[in-house]
Amino acid sequence: MALFLLLPFVNNCSDEQPSEIPLTYDSSSQKKFYLGLIPEQDLFSQKARYTPLARYISENAGVNVEIKMLSRYGNIIENFIAGHLDAAFFGSFTGALAIKTIGVEPIARPLWLDDTSTYYGMIFVRKDSGIKAAADMKGKRFAFVDKATTAGWLLPLNYFHELGIEDYPSWFGETYFTGTHEDTILDVLNGKADIGAAKNTVLYRLAAKDGRLLDELQILAESPAVPANSLAVRKDLDPALKIKLRNLLLEMDRTEEGKEILREFGAKKFIETTEKDYDPVFVYADKVKLDLKKYNYWND
Amino acid sequence: MRNKIYLGLFCLILCFLAGGLYIVSSIDEVTDQLETIITLHKVEFLRENLLNKVVVVQADLLLKDTPHARKIDTFVSHVEEMHQAASHCNSCHHEELVLQRILHVDNMVDVYLKKLSRVYTLRANEARLKQEKQNTFDLGQAVLEEVNSIVITSSHKTAQRILRARENIQKTKRFLYGLMVIGPLLIIVIAFFYFRNFARSVATLTKATRKIKEGEFSYRIKKQLKDEFRELAMAFNEMAISLKAQQHKLQQSERLAAVGELAAGLAHEVKNPLAGIKISIEVLKNELPLEQEDKEIFLKIINEINRIESLLKNMLNYARPSKPQPELINIHEILDGIIKISEFSLKNPKDLSQVTKDIHFEKDFGADMPQIFADPGQLQQVFLNIILNAIDAIKEQGTISIKTTKTPDDTMQILISDTGKGVDPETIKMIFNPFFTTKSKGTGLGLAICKRLIDQHRGTISVSSNPGGGAIFLITLPGKQESQEQEQ
Repeated sequence: MALFLLLPFVNNCSDEQPSEIPLTYDSSSQKKFYLGLIPEQDLFSQKARYTPLARYISENAGVNVEIKMLSRYGNIIENFIAGHLDAAFFGSFTGALAIKTIGVEPIARPLWLDDTSTYYGMIFVRKDSGIKAAADMKGKRFAFVDKATTAGWLLPLNYFHELGIEDYPSWFGETYFTGTHEDTILDVLNGKADIGAAKNTVLYRLAAKDGRLLDELQILAESPAVPANSLAVRKDLDPALKIKLRNLLLEMDRTEEGKEILREFGAKKFIETTEKDYDPVFVYADKVKLDLKKYNYWND
Repeated sequence: MRNKIYLGLFCLILCFLAGGLYIVSSIDEVTDQLETIITLHKVEFLRENLLNKVVVVQADLLLKDTPHARKIDTFVSHVEEMHQAASHCNSCHHEELVLQRILHVDNMVDVYLKKLSRVYTLRANEARLKQEKQNTFDLGQAVLEEVNSIVITSSHKTAQRILRARENIQKTKRFLYGLMVIGPLLIIVIAFFYFRNFARSVATLTKATRKIKEGEFSYRIKKQLKDEFRELAMAFNEMAISLKAQQHKLQQSERLAAVGELAAGLAHEVKNPLAGIKISIEVLKNELPLEQEDKEIFLKIINEINRIESLLKNMLNYARPSKPQPELINIHEILDGIIKISEFSLKNPKDLSQVTKDIHFEKDFGADMPQIFADPGQLQQVFLNIILNAIDAIKEQGTISIKTTKTPDDTMQILISDTGKGVDPETIKMIFNPFFTTKSKGTGLGLAICKRLIDQHRGTISVSSNPGGGAIFLITLPGKQESQEQEQ
């Protein structure tokens, strides 16, 4: 009923509004450069976090960057295949997938303030849940992030394998994909799920704002370190632009404006990234017996 | 009048200043009120906008998982617009109560954003998905209700404030209209009274002036004028009195001149027959065999005839003074000559009363006294007359001092003082008037003639009492006489 009441109004509004989110810069007359973002955190916070960086690239690389938010990690591969994206900040697993399947070329990734440029996955429960072993997990609710994430999917698969849980859907009472690391962490913290898997960087970023996270959550397992979300470009992108983008990011910490944007972003600088940096992911995928070239990343 | 003009000007300036200040403050007030109204409308618009944006997002939420579902980009855009609208609302309010409610809405919107994102990223069983969607939708409705509640509450307040602002604007407008009408009227009325008073006073004075012009010297301004015009009227009346007195004097002078002319003519006519009578009497006295007693009678007659002749001569001198015949003279030589004549006269008196007088002459002539152009005969007459008067004033023994000096502007001063009986202040006032005399046998024309002669030389003559007794005559003569200038 409410839907029908709202529908005419929505149509009116949608006629007046653009169908996509335009990020208009001074270089608006220049060629559009679509930059994909995966929902590492909620869609809007993620976009807000990357907007200054996108503006910096637009103003300095001679392209008109437009951010395209993706509701799923896997969608990034789809969008690249459909030719909608020129570049994207890939997660480690999506990056590895994209390298293997569509040949994207990683060029740079951030060096965080603690001098790391990697992250690792964590499996966690509430301290007061009493969950420590596989038996404790029987019939509980497990929150993954996405089937295209290292921390939110590969790590749990490996963890289940190590615990001897062969058929996890029947072992757990409920499994679901939150779509973001942030939601997975908050679901466990707030009791919506009993066990969760997500990346450490997001957890510690949230913990800086909410002290309950470190006090109330218990880490059960961690994955090996994998490269942080890296900027990768499509393989047929103009080589000159590719070099320009890479140089721009790598030299960003040499300008005051760049430094300020990096500080807001939470990084010291960008460092060069190549396919080789994804080796830990390939190794980890092998370990859990995933063939990345044939991998179906669609969530159930 | 001047004070009133100053006061009027001051009042006008004060009025203009007060009016100007009021207009400026009114403009400021109206501008503030207009800004307030604009802000209030803006606030109203922002709230309505937020309401609409929330409705749009709620619709997106409901359309999700239907064939009409929005693209993710469109949805993100709608949510961002809603968030922006909420942020705008947050930045507008200043009243604590409303601010708290807006902040509450802002927090609700933040949570709503997280939930919306979650609905779009979550992949779970249908029950969880439905539950999350319902929770999010419920929160959206709560945001809508809260915003709507604020809109309704604040709309009422906004309407009241707009009404108040409009009333204030109307009030200011009416006052300004009133000021525009009353201000000039007030100025016209004040100016009318000022000019009427001014014009009446000027008319009164003009009328009086015309009366005087027509010779009506007895006309007086009786009307009580105000301020400076009153002083002007008083001065005018004084002037009329003075004019009348002068006219009277002039008439008298004219009459006297006519009488003088008549007397001079008569004297001239009498002088010749009198000379014939005198000669005849002298012939009779000398040729007739007369007794001594009879001879004395004839002698007395001749003396009286001499007196009449002297009087007639003086009258003629005064009435028809001879024109000066100036030449370059040394004033000291003339004074020396006069002193010698006087000393001789004292030693060989005609009048036996002067035999016993012991009068000493003192000279104090200034050095380097220049020669001047003057009529030596007329100056001799003046000095002799003064010195003879001085001799008359000294009873037995005394001193007559004669001093000459030169002032820086080349004016020559001759000071003749005596140690005689002196002159009282009343006499000083009239001493140069014709026919005024303190002597029993005087004609009263000597000093009057002296004054006329000195006047002809463009000099001055004055008299004062000597503090040590006696009188002081001061004669000044200009260094350059008219004839001398003409010659040069």
